[in-house]
Amino acid sequence: MSAVPAWLRSVRVLTGLAIVLTVALLALLAPLIAPHDPNEQNLLTTFLPPAWAQGGDIAYPLGTDSLGRCTLSRLIYGARIAMTVAIVASFGAMIIGAVLAHVAGYFGGAADWLIGRMVDVWMSFPPVILSLILMVGLGTGLRNVILAIVLVDWTRFCRVLRSEVLVVTRRDYVPAARLLGFSHWRTITREILPATLPLLITLISLEMGIAVIVEAILSFVGMSVGATTPAWGQMIADARQYIYDSPWNLLFPILMIFVTVLGFNVLGDGLRLTLDVRLTETQRA
Amino acid sequence: MVKLMTSILPLITRRILVSVVILFIVSALLFCILRLLPVDSAAMSMPPNATLAEIEAKRREMGLDQPLFRQYLIWLSQVLHGDFGASIHFRRGVAGLVAATLPATIELALLAMLIAGALGIAGGLWMFHVRGTRREPLADMASIVLLSLPEFLWGLFFILLFGVALELLPFTGRLSSGFERPVITGFLLIDTLLAGRPDMFVNALKHMILPSLALGIAFSPTIMRVLRSSLLDVYQEEYIHQARLRGLSERRILIHHALKNALLPTLSLMGVQFGFLFGGTLLIEVIYSYPGLGNLMVDAVRNADLPIIQAVGLTYCVVVLFINTVVDAAYVILNPKLRVA
Repeated sequence: MSAVPAWLRSVRVLTGLAIVLTVALLALLAPLIAPHDPNEQNLLTTFLPPAWAQGGDIAYPLGTDSLGRCTLSRLIYGARIAMTVAIVASFGAMIIGAVLAHVAGYFGGAADWLIGRMVDVWMSFPPVILSLILMVGLGTGLRNVILAIVLVDWTRFCRVLRSEVLVVTRRDYVPAARLLGFSHWRTITREILPATLPLLITLISLEMGIAVIVEAILSFVGMSVGATTPAWGQMIADARQYIYDSPWNLLFPILMIFVTVLGFNVLGDGLRLTLDVRLTETQRA
Repeated sequence: MVKLMTSILPLITRRILVSVVILFIVSALLFCILRLLPVDSAAMSMPPNATLAEIEAKRREMGLDQPLFRQYLIWLSQVLHGDFGASIHFRRGVAGLVAATLPATIELALLAMLIAGALGIAGGLWMFHVRGTRREPLADMASIVLLSLPEFLWGLFFILLFGVALELLPFTGRLSSGFERPVITGFLLIDTLLAGRPDMFVNALKHMILPSLALGIAFSPTIMRVLRSSLLDVYQEEYIHQARLRGLSERRILIHHALKNALLPTLSLMGVQFGFLFGGTLLIEVIYSYPGLGNLMVDAVRNADLPIIQAVGLTYCVVVLFINTVVDAAYVILNPKLRVA
């Protein structure tokens, strides 16, 4: 017997957590860590290479962009948008998806049919296209990015959780709880939810990675936060135009997105293994 | 053959009916979402010196003074007559713009799916092959790393590596300057061949290597992982054990017995994946300035060009539903268990 739960002893969970917490700390402490104001321009020192390359300046460790803004500072501040979107949007999508999945799986019948058809309609859209169209309708801004991701990605939770709820609902202890006089609400929250929770936690970790990517995509096409808020996708779009002047500026945000998403995926995979979640590859897609 | 047809036809008919219903719902949703936008399409489609009265007349002509439901019905009846309206920004018929760009996107998506399928199956076989060995954690880790790299990051990375650093391949547009593209079918790869211009075909293909590779690689790890896990499932079956008892080689068991059955779930996943992949072309097109549906869409989004956004949104939807139907049919054809006797 050990006091440390199994999931905290998994190498994957710990690696994933370490990466995610590092990025989260960068985001939280951005004003303390960043060497410069992310929007401070210096037109005399544009396209500086990183400090270790020839012509680099130690004051700008990762160089500067087309307007002479500090790349490192912009990366650090960009983590704020990425992490905010990852956390808030995933929880939003989880809440809608999980509620609908439990209603559909537990009550079955007409509710299940209706929710199932809603998922069908949503799934007939490539997610990127749907979120882009939503952004057109909602307008740009952090709140709307989050809303768009929630409105697109709730189906990921709903599809997978519904079949899990179906399985759990058929277990003996669920009718037993009903016979004891538990209300539907109490049966779902006390008897079913604990059994679906491991899957829920795993899904949310994977969804956070997806949310980071979607925000980067939206800010890449200029449909995310405004131009004054640094975001990784925006940095990529800017660097794409000056690819010959400074390939570094393109490389750094790419790496940042990759490492963050990797962190969430490794964490999710570790949780899936240690919480013994039955998540098939088809469901994961 | 007749038997096969009788089992597939009802399925396809059902799928098509469902798809039509879904399309109606999607079109209504699209219409409502886009009407949230505070844009005056009437004013935007008039010259800047138009008077207020002229704009008002235009608004009435476009049906914008009617209630939302009536507006939707007007739009729907036009769409059903093949009239998707005119682009506010390009001042051209939307149907023509979509027809001119859709083939490019289909070419890109098909090539990418081919690459994803080949890489996915090869990778899946390798991951299965190293099961239980010391290389398994490595293979597992590699697949998670691949899963964490979305297509647009691959796209940008390839531009840096093969385009800028090594200068091996072109990374903008579809053809080098100096080529006059022939328009016969609209599919550039086919048209260049029909026009008898192998040099142009090679040039067009070179322009497609990086974008389709980026898309293909991004979508391969899911295929790998599904193939691996369904191979693991298949190897639990009795007939694998039987084949071993009959003295068949491991290679023969894998290729002739296991792979055939493990490919079925993989195929059904590839159907779902193709929908995502088709959406993924959007970013890849923007990154590679590839003149397809995605670039048209992003331009329209930036200009708030509602008629285009609506039509392109619906086009993406039609393609996804079409692919799902085809994959479902293929699944029945390949899986004897699902055929109705």
